[in-house]
Amino acid sequence: MTLGTAPSVLDPSLYIPELKTRRKDAALADLVSLAHQAGVVRGPELLRELLVMRERLGSTAIGKGVALPHARSLTVNRPQLVVARSRRGIDWDAPDELPVTLVLLTLTPGEWGEEAHHAFLGRAAAVARLQRNRQRLLDAASFDDVASVLREVGR
Amino acid sequence: MTALGQLVYLGDLDLLLREARDEASRLRLRKLGFELAGLERLEAARERLAAAIERRWMVMYERARQRYGRGVAAVRERVCQGCFVTLPTSVASRPGAGETPGLCESCGRVLFWG
Repeated sequence: MTLGTAPSVLDPSLYIPELKTRRKDAALADLVSLAHQAGVVRGPELLRELLVMRERLGSTAIGKGVALPHARSLTVNRPQLVVARSRRGIDWDAPDELPVTLVLLTLTPGEWGEEAHHAFLGRAAAVARLQRNRQRLLDAASFDDVASVLREVGR
Repeated sequence: MTALGQLVYLGDLDLLLREARDEASRLRLRKLGFELAGLERLEAARERLAAAIERRWMVMYERARQRYGRGVAAVRERVCQGCFVTLPTSVASRPGAGETPGLCESCGRVLFWG
């Protein structure tokens, strides 16, 4: 499965064009809440706690303004990508200390194995690693534009 | 947090712990640009949570975890995702199903209704 060939992974209702918060924990809560509303997550408070715990083990910011928070959890019903942007930037303890402007939350169900979870996360990381993709995601005027970038990665 | 919530969170922490302890997993994550450090912090959180869970549920959880590697299984469309056995309708329609801990009659894992 690639990001581009799994339509359920790309969902217009799971996109926040502009995060209101500038705090990492609050941003995670917003992303989880959205996933919960879309029926991807049951027990959103448990997932939020897990994501916060994961951040304590090492920031999921990878530099260049990108964060890839991720969780493999029993609370997740299906693999999902939740995309959010923040023009003002969020302090995410990034290795390059740059504020995060692009967040790709990757969620996989608890029954998934580690390798499958990492492969899914790796595809999201591949999107973010290319400067051209990052810029297109930041400049996207609609979810369709975002989806077209994510689909390209799967080709 | 409810007893079921505690068990589900414990299941998730155990998945994360396994990932953090496994060298191959850590290597894969490192290649993606992530570090999983502070294992002792995760272990301490797991210990605190386990101590807070009612003993009878911990016994059930640990029994299933030691046998299958996971103590909790999600239920999707009445199927236990641990052993893939369809649960009887009597279990699904039980009052409080999905809100309080219950066990899969086939594999003994704690059920979490997704």
